[in-house]
Amino acid sequence: MENNNNPEEKDYNISFFKPTTPLAKFNRNLIIGLFTVWAVAIFGFQILLRIVETPTPEKAYENYELVWDDVKSGNASVADKQVFIKSVLSVLGKITIDPNDRLFLSNSVNKLTLGLVPETEKNAFISKIVAFKNSDFDNPDYQELKNGLSIASAGYIGVSPNTLEAKLIPFELITANSKTIDSKAVESIMAKYLIHNQSFITDYYFLGFPFHYFYTAVFLLILFVGLCLYYCIATDIAMKKLGIVED
Amino acid sequence: MKKAFLLLALLSPSLIFATTSTQLEGGFKLGPAIILVTILVLFIVVGIVFRAKDTNDFFAAGRKISKVGSGMAIASNWMSAASFLGMAALMYGTGYHGLSYVIGWTGGYVLLLILMAGQIRKYGKYTAADFIGDRYYSRPLRIAGAVVAILISIAYCVGQFGGIGLLFRWILGIEYGLAVIIGGSVVLTYTLISGMLGVTKNMQIQYVIIIISFLIPLFLLTYKFDYFWLLPQIGYGSVVSDIVKGIPVSEVDNLVNSFGNNFAITPSPEYAMPWDPSTGQTFFQFMAISFSLMVGTAGLPHVIQRFYVVPKVRDARWSVVWGLFFISILYWSAPVYSALGTILSAHPEVGKLSKDAIVVYTAQLGNINPLVVGLLAAGGVSAAFSTVSGLLVAGASAFSHDLYVKVINPTCSPAKQLMMARLATVLMAIIVSLIALLKLALIGQLVAVAFSLAGCTIFPLFLLGIWWSGSNRTGATWGLIVGSSVSLLAIVYFVAAKFDVVLPAHDFINYWLGAWYFAWIGAPLAILTNIVVSNFTEETPIEIKKFLVEQVHS
Repeated sequence: MENNNNPEEKDYNISFFKPTTPLAKFNRNLIIGLFTVWAVAIFGFQILLRIVETPTPEKAYENYELVWDDVKSGNASVADKQVFIKSVLSVLGKITIDPNDRLFLSNSVNKLTLGLVPETEKNAFISKIVAFKNSDFDNPDYQELKNGLSIASAGYIGVSPNTLEAKLIPFELITANSKTIDSKAVESIMAKYLIHNQSFITDYYFLGFPFHYFYTAVFLLILFVGLCLYYCIATDIAMKKLGIVED
Repeated sequence: MKKAFLLLALLSPSLIFATTSTQLEGGFKLGPAIILVTILVLFIVVGIVFRAKDTNDFFAAGRKISKVGSGMAIASNWMSAASFLGMAALMYGTGYHGLSYVIGWTGGYVLLLILMAGQIRKYGKYTAADFIGDRYYSRPLRIAGAVVAILISIAYCVGQFGGIGLLFRWILGIEYGLAVIIGGSVVLTYTLISGMLGVTKNMQIQYVIIIISFLIPLFLLTYKFDYFWLLPQIGYGSVVSDIVKGIPVSEVDNLVNSFGNNFAITPSPEYAMPWDPSTGQTFFQFMAISFSLMVGTAGLPHVIQRFYVVPKVRDARWSVVWGLFFISILYWSAPVYSALGTILSAHPEVGKLSKDAIVVYTAQLGNINPLVVGLLAAGGVSAAFSTVSGLLVAGASAFSHDLYVKVINPTCSPAKQLMMARLATVLMAIIVSLIALLKLALIGQLVAVAFSLAGCTIFPLFLLGIWWSGSNRTGATWGLIVGSSVSLLAIVYFVAAKFDVVLPAHDFINYWLGAWYFAWIGAPLAILTNIVVSNFTEETPIEIKKFLVEQVHS
């Protein structure tokens, strides 16, 4: 393009990496510094988390693994079945569980729990399940039916009535729609919900938080405000030094 | 103090709610409705008192806003339904993965400040399209910039209207569709009455209402469930570790939710552990969302536009610091709702909750005073309102100022221009309402689409336009074409999947070009294209280069 408006042939090109004004040079250096801190703090930390993480099973998964082969083959003892049910209930108590996954696990809890009920008590127990299933929250007898089923189930699965397992099991018994266990589905679901990406960073606690959680949810935001504050102060000082008066 | 808290927390819920504790939704709620109406009337009155008298007022508030005031306006403008409701929803559903939205939506402000804020103010234009048309000396690019700005505003508004619908449904006890229409009409009326001067004044009031309504239930909840309540934003560390390790029933016999279930939970490390398999989210998605939201933040027209309304360049910079600080107060707090909501809703009796309403549900499940829950819901409506009004003004500006006046009818009177701005506002509100009725995704995810779109289109044009005089019209055009193509591809695949239409390689595209994070590749590609094409085509006119050196970088 012909340069009619630039008779002195002054260089008016400007780029971030080749600044031609003092202010642009100052800005480039400041931006590179702040950008580096920003990028490393955000993405560098997450990459570090990724590098050091190891798939770590929950205690419930370790217990489940101990008894699963016997449960699958039908050779499990009463104690094994109780361990299995408790492990499965620890997945069923998670709010993130997918409804389809829940169904597979509910079925296995239902089958094994019923298997633990002595024949002489089975009809009465099934009646309790049916009565609770046909009741809803607003019914006056709802709480009584729920507690009755909870206490009865707790005895069979080997837990105290005042435990989360005992509180959860009535809902799984009424959710189940099949008496069979899909072994492959159970294996993948248990691994999916009970194995987590953990490391020394996630296992270290700071102010109650797992450290990585504190870092990302709390510290990074403080850092962002700090970086912005630093930029503004540094720019104000530079403006004075460069003698630039902004409108 | 403790007694006051206890009194507030224990007032009987049945006084106000026409529902029982078993129903979190229920019918018409008088207390929350009165609070909401009072707040809306306040907004309208403020809007009328400070209403736009001419186009300068309508577009840029007469440049009379201080840096702290502008910071509050930035925060209020920013703290939308996505921040107020959506963020906790994302963390409630996906745990640590949800934090990618928290850092994405805040980290982007660092980019915006160090790369653009002061320079944009120095450039001295009213709208994003104004800048693009002027910097790239191109009328077609101005038109394209205006169209993109309108599309971004619409995409952003859809999530907000979803949030407004959700909260109006909760307060009025009506169905979602009707709630969207009523809520949309109210916010439209308010924006039309006030324009941007009123909007900016209102934004400062809205910020105060939003933050107070968001924080009060947090203090009550953390106090009630025996956590460090003086600073819940730090005190909830114990809530997170309780979720990870589990809370046995025996430890919390006296603490129950509104269903009477114990404040107990099975060990749930998936809530806090990174990219947990059970959430279905991966490391790549975490990084891509963070990056996309950050570049999107620095490319959103309605955010950039806020820098035009401060009187001085220095104020533009400092308003970002204030804005980010005010925003962070909410962003430090939102995860607390998600964490407490996780425990309070852990019992199967609570059932599957609408994630987007988890903030309100958490307060309800915690048996907080219904008036406080009502204030919380009204705060959510304020958050959505403040953002929607800013977005509608930005979209209307793009239409009336950048398309109508600059392209279609340059000789039109200011009165006609104002009329066109108002017409555009109405049209946008109708389009947004129709899309919001489809309920395509979570609020936070819908808003993230707008961010990726901005990151692929506006951000590269501003970044290179400010920092490289070599970026020319042809380079900008091709960069915009590439960025828009990536955006179009991702959005088409997303919408197709929602309507069960299977397109070629849909799994591949929907994963690598997810609708809420396609800017991870779209933005770098657009920048690269702009650089390569600019290097092989005509030089930027000397007037533009001179202006950049003498006005923007000196």
